Amino acid sequence: MASRKEGTGSTATSSSSTAGAAGKGKGKGGSGDSAVKQVQIDGLVVLKIIKHYQEEGQGTEVVQGVLLGLVVEDRLEITNCFPFPQHTEDDADFDEVQYQMEMMRSLRHVNIDHLHVGWYQSTYYGSFVTRALLDSQFSYQHAIEESVVLIYDPIKTAQGSLSLKAYRLTPKLMEVCKEKDFSPEALKKANITFEYMFEEVPIVIKNSHLINVLMWELEKKSAVADKHELLSLASSNHLGKNLQLLMDRVDEMSQDIVKYNTYMRNTSKQQQQKHQQENMQRQSRGEPPLPEEDLSKLFKPPQPPARMDSLLIAGQINTYCQNIKEFTAQNLGKLFMAQALQEYNN
Amino acid sequence: MSRFFTTGSDSESESSLSGEELVTKPVGGNYGKQPLLLSEDEEDTKRVVRSAKDKRFEELTNLIRTIRNAMKIRDVTKCLEEFELLGKAYGKAKSIVDKEGVPRFYIRILADLEDYLNELWEDKEGKKKMNKNNAKALSTLRQKIRKYNRDFESHITSYKQNPEQSADEDAEKNEEDSEDEDEDEDGVSAATFLKKKSEAPSGESRKFLKKMDDEDEDSEDSEDDEDWDTGSTSSDSDSEEEEGKQTALASRFLKKAPTTDEDKKAAEKKREDKAKKKHDRKSKRLDEEEEDNEGGEWERVRGGVPLVKKPKMFAKGTEITHAVVIKKLNEILQARGKKGTDRAAQIELLQLLVQIAAENNLGEGVIVKIKFNIIASLYDYNPNLATYMKPEMWGKCLDCINELMDILFANPNIFVGENILEESENLHNADQPLRVRGCILTLVERMDEEFTKIMQNTDPHSQEYVEHLKDEAQVCAIIERVQRYLEEKGTTEEVCRIYLLRILHTYYKFDYKAHQRQLTPPEGSSKSEQDQAENEGEDSAVLMERLCKYIYAKDRTDRIRTCAILCHIYHHALHSRWYQARDLMLMSHLQDNIQHADPPVQILYNRTMVQLGICAFRQGLTKDAHNALLDIQSSGRAKELLGQGLLLRSLQERNQEQEKVERRRQVPFHLHINLELLECVYLVSAMLLEIPYMAAHESDARRRMISKQFHHQLRVGERQPLLGPPESMREHVVAASKAMKMGDWKTCHSFIINEKMNGKVWDLFPEADKVRTMLVRKIQEESLRTYLFTYSSVYDSISMETLSDMFELDLPTVHSIISKMIINEELMASLDQPTQTVVMHRTEPTAQQNLALQLAEKLGSLVENNERVFDHKQGTYGGYFRDQKDGYRKNEGYMRRGGYRQQQSQTAY
Repeated sequence: MASRKEGTGSTATSSSSTAGAAGKGKGKGGSGDSAVKQVQIDGLVVLKIIKHYQEEGQGTEVVQGVLLGLVVEDRLEITNCFPFPQHTEDDADFDEVQYQMEMMRSLRHVNIDHLHVGWYQSTYYGSFVTRALLDSQFSYQHAIEESVVLIYDPIKTAQGSLSLKAYRLTPKLMEVCKEKDFSPEALKKANITFEYMFEEVPIVIKNSHLINVLMWELEKKSAVADKHELLSLASSNHLGKNLQLLMDRVDEMSQDIVKYNTYMRNTSKQQQQKHQQENMQRQSRGEPPLPEEDLSKLFKPPQPPARMDSLLIAGQINTYCQNIKEFTAQNLGKLFMAQALQEYNN
Repeated sequence: MSRFFTTGSDSESESSLSGEELVTKPVGGNYGKQPLLLSEDEEDTKRVVRSAKDKRFEELTNLIRTIRNAMKIRDVTKCLEEFELLGKAYGKAKSIVDKEGVPRFYIRILADLEDYLNELWEDKEGKKKMNKNNAKALSTLRQKIRKYNRDFESHITSYKQNPEQSADEDAEKNEEDSEDEDEDEDGVSAATFLKKKSEAPSGESRKFLKKMDDEDEDSEDSEDDEDWDTGSTSSDSDSEEEEGKQTALASRFLKKAPTTDEDKKAAEKKREDKAKKKHDRKSKRLDEEEEDNEGGEWERVRGGVPLVKKPKMFAKGTEITHAVVIKKLNEILQARGKKGTDRAAQIELLQLLVQIAAENNLGEGVIVKIKFNIIASLYDYNPNLATYMKPEMWGKCLDCINELMDILFANPNIFVGENILEESENLHNADQPLRVRGCILTLVERMDEEFTKIMQNTDPHSQEYVEHLKDEAQVCAIIERVQRYLEEKGTTEEVCRIYLLRILHTYYKFDYKAHQRQLTPPEGSSKSEQDQAENEGEDSAVLMERLCKYIYAKDRTDRIRTCAILCHIYHHALHSRWYQARDLMLMSHLQDNIQHADPPVQILYNRTMVQLGICAFRQGLTKDAHNALLDIQSSGRAKELLGQGLLLRSLQERNQEQEKVERRRQVPFHLHINLELLECVYLVSAMLLEIPYMAAHESDARRRMISKQFHHQLRVGERQPLLGPPESMREHVVAASKAMKMGDWKTCHSFIINEKMNGKVWDLFPEADKVRTMLVRKIQEESLRTYLFTYSSVYDSISMETLSDMFELDLPTVHSIISKMIINEELMASLDQPTQTVVMHRTEPTAQQNLALQLAEKLGSLVENNERVFDHKQGTYGGYFRDQKDGYRKNEGYMRRGGYRQQQSQTAY
């Protein structure tokens, strides 16, 4: 893995830059004043995150940790990190904050950057757009404006391309979260849709020159077969998993819509009924019909369902779709390559 | 004070309190009791009594004190509580009170309390002020004390007349009491003496006996009594003694012997006696009365087991005629069912009466009549429904019924029936047919119930159970006899009832003989004589058929028919006549309305269904077996539903009463259906159905499970952290299922049929080997299907010969299975005849394609839902002109978003 560091680093940057460009393009309206334009990650951090997942994470379990570094102009430099211990039921009284503070203090003693600049999390087939992530990223960004969340996808990495992405909440979403009002009206007012929830920040992996030199050395020595993982044609499993996850989300979305639908129906029905009743009464008493505002005061409308969840689901579906798109595109390319190769050989 | 004086004054005081009768009279009984209750040491005895008395009285006085305190502070609630306690304490002290007379202070408190309450009651204003609890307590207490005081009316009136004097008297009486007790001792000594030595009672004891008599006859003057005592009666009793010596004394001695010999038994008896004391006393009184009426002598009845002498029944020289005997019988019967009747004594008396009747050749009618009553009182012996007969009682009962049947068979001119009126009975007129009131059928039904109760209450794993079970043959024999009798004389209704009884004793038994006969064809004439003799009995199948058909035709109560049908089905199923059983079940339409039946019938229904399921399984009809067992097994309460045990549940769900009822419903152990067998049959049939189904619908999102319970077991198996070799039946089935999933029939086979499983389950079937071969074949077939479902996607074509080798099935079978699968469109393939291969069509979508299809479906519904939201918006559009602008804007927004989603879903397609 280390042998390809440089190469993979570059692909990661490139892929993220394309996705980031798209994200930025859409998010341009609000994210112009974003505090961080670029994230520069030390090779050490990447390795530490990978190692952490390999040692502790498995299956759908995620690993998390704290990123340390500093802000230089509009660039966030992440120079070190440390993991969170895995949660178990046994130590419910484990104090995370205490742990973080102590860790940082200890690191300061050995002269390591101890500024808290964000956190990282592993993901399972790209399913990271969740309420939990939103909440914790919000609290990070609320406290430390520059903080980012690094999402590490171990499965994609295992397939041959390092997948590491940095995300931040858009200022719009920050505002909505601050208000804590997720009603349909509030979201409409904030003019927020799933595309404007997260902004991706381009990543650059930076190594010292000495390391770069070593990489080149190793690259030359490594066997050809090591690099061929990228060309593997077996894809069904990955695609199937993605489809399954996508399907689950679509189900959730459906449910959400049904919920919203019933809500709409209930409100309108109630309004109509009450309105008519009240006005009938008033007419019989010879009073003028009530204006609309008074009515809404008189009768409590049913509680509108929170829309944030559906937004998140939409965001997640989006991620899956992009994943699948990316994956199928790559695979098609590979298939064409294989076909060409076959024809050439024949 | 002289003894005479004491007795005199004692009786005087008693006679003055005429209302006390009830309480004081049993004194006599108590005296009789004393010797038995207490050990032989008289001194000891005395002390015990003393202390007991003190203790009781102290208890009473304490309670009274609290009541008085409560009265002072007008706390009626407290009063009520204490009064209730007082009543109880008085009940406890009753034995002492009986001896000592009602204590003054007790009467006083009763009187005072009543006055006090009346006062409160009258005081309307005070009542209003009272809080709710108190007011309520007041009315309750008032009623209670009124009722209670009715028993003590005379005491209270006398107390009210001169409260002081009675207080004095109280003290005086105490002294008398002590004297009384002295005399008591005499009685004791005499009685014990009498008992132990079984000699003629001494004069003293006789006197004592007489004294008891006096007390019974309150009206008589005490002095007179005394005279009579010493004079006339002594000779009487002497003569009586002489007469009875040979018989009754011997028997008394016999009765006594075990008690003295075995201390333990005696102790037990004592305890029993104590509990029954009150009852006994009353019953004895009754007995005594009877005896007095007869003009004969009375005899002391010793705790529970009466020492009855023949002359006691009839005075010497009385000519024993029908009238006398019947009169006597009626007298005895009058006591029946009354609270204090000593039931054991009654039985004893009745038996003696039979003897007398037999000795005097009073004719069969009388004997039958008495016998009926003996059996009835045997049944009555146990005071409540829950307890069961003691073995000796049971034995007696069986004998008695047998004797009765003997008589009835021997004398065809006796008519027995419940509808024969008491008046129209003809017990002795030999010219006309004898008519006796009584129902043999009821007796037998009751006997059957008792038998069930005995079986329910015996530990099924003990030798005792086996012993009891031996009686079953006798019960059956009796039922058969009664059946024969009723077939001649009974009404159709009665015949139906006895037939049902017979059926109930037949249906659950596997007819091995018939089974053997079936196996060996009839031409096997080389059988030994004995075999033929054995085979002479009617086939139970034929028998069932005959009985049931009669019931179907003649019965007018629905219940008997239902039971008969169920038993019939059960019997068919037990003997592997699946189609008959199934058809009968379907024809009966019981499934529709069984939930309205009473619980025992429902239990029978459940049993039948289970048996039906097991039968289907034996025939290799897994699907039918599964369906039949599904209801019982899916509830997880098979044990309860089959009446084979109670589930441990919290007390909130059922109280004591319900539990008792449920306990009574339990099926005796020898009728049980093995639950493990049941579960195993169910799980194996579920496995045979579910595994191929799962394989066929692997990627189908909408597949349903066939058996939840089976899936549950699979999940449990998966959750095991460490998978060792299977131990229990369930683990075996789970392991076998896993093997089957892979199409590995050999492993599956070895898990289902092996030593352990044989021992646990398969050997329980009557034709175990047949079942095993059937099972192996089923496993092979289903494994083949599973294999084809699971791995068809990796084959282009597969040779049937290979398959037949793999699954050790012959080629035609493989061919038929595959053809069936193709016809049912389960397998997309075709058969290539010349090469004997299966060619796969590969039209089944791959996993990805399946997923994509599902996703498309889901997205379709999503879009639909989304559209509905949109429609809704548009619908409101016209309704609210006021909102026009706003609504329009909203619509736009939603349209846009909806559009996006549609786009997105299109991309995902």
